[in-house]
Amino acid sequence: MTELVKRQLKLLNDRTYRARRVSPPMDPELAEQQWDRYTEAGDAARFAYACACEKEPVFHGEDIFGFNRYCTGALCKGRFGNVVIDYETVLSKGLCGILADADARRATADAEAISYYDGIRTCYEAAFGLVDMYEKAACEAGNLRLADALLQVPRHGARSYYEALITLRFLSYILRLNRCVHLPLGRFDCYMKPYYEMSLAAGVTEAEILEQTELFFIAMNFDSDLYIGIQKGDNGQSLVLGGCDRAGNEVFGALSEICLQASEELALIDPKINLRVNKGTPLSLYERGTRLTKQGLGFPQYSNDDIAIPFLTSLGYDPEDARDYAMAACWEFIVSGNGADIPNRNSFDYPKVIERATKSHLLTSDSFETFLEAVGREMDRECDRMIDHCNENRPYSPEILLSSFLQPTIERGRTLQRGGAKYNNYGFHGSGMSTAADALAAIRACIYEQQYCTKEELLAALEADFVGYEDLHRWLLDCPKMGNNDDRADMLGCWLMERFSSYLNGKPNDRGGIYRAGTGSAMTYITHAAKVGATADGRRAGTPFASSYSPSPDARLQGPLSNILSFTKFDLRKICNGGPFTIEIHDTVFRNDEGEKKVAQLIKSYIDLGGHQIQINAINRDRLLDAQAHPENYPNLIVRVWGWSGYFTELDTVYQNHVIRRMEFTV
Amino acid sequence: MTGRIFSIEEFATFDGPGIRMTVFLKGCPLRCSWCHNPESQRAEVEYVRSPNGCLSCGACLRAGERDARGALHLTAASVEACPRRLVRRCGEDLTVEALCARIRANGRILQSTGGGVTFSGGEPFAQFEFLRACLSALKGEVHTAIQTCGYTAPERFAEALTLCDYVLYDLKLMDPALHRRYCGTDNGRILENYRALAASGKEFVTRIPLIPGVTDTTENLSAIAAFVKEQGVDRVELLPYNRMAGSKYAGLLRPFEPGFDEDRVVELHLEIFEKHGIRAKKM
Repeated sequence: MTELVKRQLKLLNDRTYRARRVSPPMDPELAEQQWDRYTEAGDAARFAYACACEKEPVFHGEDIFGFNRYCTGALCKGRFGNVVIDYETVLSKGLCGILADADARRATADAEAISYYDGIRTCYEAAFGLVDMYEKAACEAGNLRLADALLQVPRHGARSYYEALITLRFLSYILRLNRCVHLPLGRFDCYMKPYYEMSLAAGVTEAEILEQTELFFIAMNFDSDLYIGIQKGDNGQSLVLGGCDRAGNEVFGALSEICLQASEELALIDPKINLRVNKGTPLSLYERGTRLTKQGLGFPQYSNDDIAIPFLTSLGYDPEDARDYAMAACWEFIVSGNGADIPNRNSFDYPKVIERATKSHLLTSDSFETFLEAVGREMDRECDRMIDHCNENRPYSPEILLSSFLQPTIERGRTLQRGGAKYNNYGFHGSGMSTAADALAAIRACIYEQQYCTKEELLAALEADFVGYEDLHRWLLDCPKMGNNDDRADMLGCWLMERFSSYLNGKPNDRGGIYRAGTGSAMTYITHAAKVGATADGRRAGTPFASSYSPSPDARLQGPLSNILSFTKFDLRKICNGGPFTIEIHDTVFRNDEGEKKVAQLIKSYIDLGGHQIQINAINRDRLLDAQAHPENYPNLIVRVWGWSGYFTELDTVYQNHVIRRMEFTV
Repeated sequence: MTGRIFSIEEFATFDGPGIRMTVFLKGCPLRCSWCHNPESQRAEVEYVRSPNGCLSCGACLRAGERDARGALHLTAASVEACPRRLVRRCGEDLTVEALCARIRANGRILQSTGGGVTFSGGEPFAQFEFLRACLSALKGEVHTAIQTCGYTAPERFAEALTLCDYVLYDLKLMDPALHRRYCGTDNGRILENYRALAASGKEFVTRIPLIPGVTDTTENLSAIAAFVKEQGVDRVELLPYNRMAGSKYAGLLRPFEPGFDEDRVVELHLEIFEKHGIRAKKM
């Protein structure tokens, strides 16, 4: 780490820079408008207003990029996000190149396209004002290198790695100004490779590239408190390394290594690193990744090309696009540069459906098979209900700025929200699957196999949240649980996923696309669970489910091997909208290189057995408890939450407790 | 035939090559004062309480019993009594078939990573018949290792060597009197079995727990270094004492009386091993 990087890192970690914040008044006229009622012209005008509010260029310390926020106003929950923009085109052509393309098409365009193209011009001209403001400020401050670069980018194509990084900083800045909160960085080592090579050819050293990368990563962490999704840290800055390119060739190379090194040295929450792997990935890459995990960062997250690509092609994605997948904010598999999928459109709540089916159908079901069939019908109905709800929803208002960075929208003369993208699919997550499987296993054992109690007693116990039914509660807790390589629970999990995915996958949506089924939970493992009563697996009312694709937090587990075998029984190529298998490993395992290597072997085992996605938390429960008690001592303690890493002390207690709870049965 | 097992760990990272399951057999002839697995020592079933998430409500204690000496123990009723399910029975009787089936279930992962199963304890030789039966059943199918203190009859040790693939062997104290004082037994057969192991050609690793003021003395480590060198061994692993060692005693309602100063910094004395031409790796 160079001295400059150290100084910038210290500035970031001290958080003193955050004192400099102002909140400008909102334009009253614009504030009154509904976000989702904007026209193309209205959207562009609002962005121009936001640009005008940025009156002062902000440099944090010896920041070599600029483009930082200091206005706290004009921010709200994000609008359209989770889209991987076409970095390749924006970096190579620059914004003027995109404008020229739009201008060339204007002559033969229809009215909607013309208003889109005009909107782009309004937006870009406002944005250029900011570029000029920074160029002038850089010049005055004697930072001629930045000033010089800003005469080239982002108006024109980048000529070096540094210029390309400036363009990326600029994109992030203006899109966030336009309330796009979740902006993934996509396949960084893919689209940055040409600029990396240009710089090397021009005599820039590897060490300088590393320094620029580290400064860029630090810059991504400034002001992260201003861009919160559901929790602080949930800001969508995911970055993908490795995997195959559009033609099928391996991408992982020297630049990917530099990114991993930068991430390991800095130990910051952003960017959240994702590694694409496959059956042929050597153990050494997993070992490399494990060194990041050891830092306690909660990433890299690993995604399996052998599962994700077939899933995408089976749903109609072109093979080149499927190979070019990246991650949305957390772990949703989305394509790069041409898609407007909404992979987190809604979340299927398995335990809620089981609860409903138990109340309505248990008494009348003479066999477990009959009951299961009733569960299946309720699941289908729930899917239909969710689909109807999504399809009835008001349309998204057009977003000019974000749209303009995806090439197909220019060709089609339509924003992402009006059919400009090649893909317009919706994804449904699935929360509490393991709890639902455990509940079914308990119902089968309790009612249909061992007749431990009557149906009426079980229903009464659930209604009473097990109060007064302590013996039954204990008995239910000891029933088979998913995660112990026990078919009695695992096959019910497979049955649930089969039913959900085969029913949902491919159903048409209201934007000309289809639905995709997944294994993620986002925050619903807390929010859904709060509204679900006691379940037959022994879970009490309101208790959280597992985060994403993992055993229930109430299940006593035999260990990670059984756990992995349980969660690779289902053919995950059918349910790959996203949502990782998550395991917690005590941080003492990492105390020497042998432990590190074995963690790498464990991850590789999951992938080789057909797992789709995995994230690992290196955790010490005692440290987390101490951090709850004395947050002042742990300003930089990082944990993985559901699909992103955040600062532990900045999380709401309910999320803190869930992470701690996950550790209770380990040690 | 059944064996009494106090724990099965599925991802044991320090018990031999590759990803390993470790089967901890209950009962040990030694009573090392620093033992970090007190629940492993007695052959009888015991009940232990995990401190994580304990509400200190006392329900488990009320369900406990006092033994003849007046010491309080948790009981089966304590398991039922704990509202957070933190008391567990320690000591599960499994048949050879049941245990081997559980090991085989993970066989794909164990094999693909060059790992296998390690029988540890307690002291696995304390349940020799069971150990022998398991090793025989798994032979040629799953890589097997034994983690032992070496305190067993030489003929039993020799037989086990023909059945297993790998040995992790502890050497603690060379002086017999000190060994009796800190570990409760003489070390004669331990050293005898070690000589046999070194001569057998079986793959093994020597492990030395470094206990401050007890095993990490210049005299002891020099004696160990000389002894292992004499057997043609040129590689040892050092396991520094961990202050967490005493944490499990409370779960058994037993006092932890290590008999040495826990706060003293462990001496690695790598130079002693270096002098003897032995590679010493700190674990």
